[in-house]
Amino acid sequence: MNILFIRILALAGLFGLACTTKVSEWVLLNTAPEEYQLVCYHTSQASESMRQQNENIAAELKNANIKFRTAVRENEKSPWYELSYKNIPFARFSNAGELKGLSSSPVREKIADEIMAGKLCVMVFLKSGDEAKDKPRLNILRKTVATSPFRSVITLTELERNDTDELHFISMLLNVEDDLKDLNEPMLFGVFGRFRALEPLAGRGITGENIGLMVDFLTADCSCLIKDDLPGASILFTNKWENPMPAMVNRIFDEDPSLLHH
Amino acid sequence: MMEQDTTLQNTIQERPLPKWLTDQRDGLNQYQPEILEMKDDRSLTFSFAFTGILIVLVVAVLSIYVLKKRRKDII
Repeated sequence: MNILFIRILALAGLFGLACTTKVSEWVLLNTAPEEYQLVCYHTSQASESMRQQNENIAAELKNANIKFRTAVRENEKSPWYELSYKNIPFARFSNAGELKGLSSSPVREKIADEIMAGKLCVMVFLKSGDEAKDKPRLNILRKTVATSPFRSVITLTELERNDTDELHFISMLLNVEDDLKDLNEPMLFGVFGRFRALEPLAGRGITGENIGLMVDFLTADCSCLIKDDLPGASILFTNKWENPMPAMVNRIFDEDPSLLHH
Repeated sequence: MMEQDTTLQNTIQERPLPKWLTDQRDGLNQYQPEILEMKDDRSLTFSFAFTGILIVLVVAVLSIYVLKKRRKDII
C-alpha cells in the first residue's frame, strides 16, 4: 500500500511539472522584453547643447527596453542617431527631434493598458491604405473575433500606415520580419505579453482560420518549445510590467472547460 | 526575428505563413516535458540473489575440496 501511495505521489508531482499556464499569461509574467539599441554618432567636438540633449534622451528612455549610448566618429558631418534591434540597424534619425515618441505613443499606451488589465491580446490591424484591400480583411477580422468564445478578452486596434503619432510604432511593427516594409498589404499583428508582436498575417493570409489559429496559439498551454524560442519581436515601450491583473481567459476556461486545448 | 519566413517573395500569394501559425496548425507547439513513469527497481534483489548464489557456490566448491582432501589423507 505504501509503495502504491509513493508511486501516485511521484506521478502527481511529475504531472504538476507540465505547464498548464496559457502562453499569453506565461509570457506576460515571465518573459522580459528584448532590448533595442540607440546610438548617437558624433565627432569629438560635440557641443554642450548636444550633450545636454543626449542626457535628456537618456533620461526619457531610462525605463524603456532600450540602451542608449554615444559613439565618436571623426568623419561625421553632423550628429545622427541609429536605432537597432538584435544588433541590426533599421532606422536612422538626423536629429533629436525625430526621436520624439520613440518609446511611447497613444496606441502603445492603450495596448499596454489592455494587456495589463488581463486581456488575452490586442490584435493590431495595420492598414495598407488601399481601401479595396483593407476593407474585406477587416470585415473577416471583425466577424471572426465577434464569433469567437474569447471575444471578450481580445481587443481590436486599427492603425493607419501613415499615422504621424505612431510612426515609430509602425516602423517597429514593420521590422518584425525583413520583408514587411516592402509589402503593401494589410497586416494583422497579435500583440501580447510585454509588448511582443507575433509575425503578422498579411493580405490574403488574414483568414478566419488563421485568426482562429492565432487565438489558439495564445490560449494554448505554454510548452517548452514556445518558452525556448518565443516567436515574434519585442516592441519598444516605456512601462512597468509588474502586477498585471489576472488573465481573463482563465475565467472563460473555468466556465467552459470544453474550450481547453493544447 | 525569425528567419524561416523572410525569404524574398515575389507576390503575397507566395509568402509563407508564419512558423508559429503552421506549428500551431500542425500541433508542433504541443511539446511538453517528458513525463517519466516509475519503474520497479530490482537491482537490489538481483544483487542479493547474485551474492547468495556466489556464497553457495564458494561454500560448495570449498566443501568438495576439503572433503576430497580429507579422504586422501585417510587413505
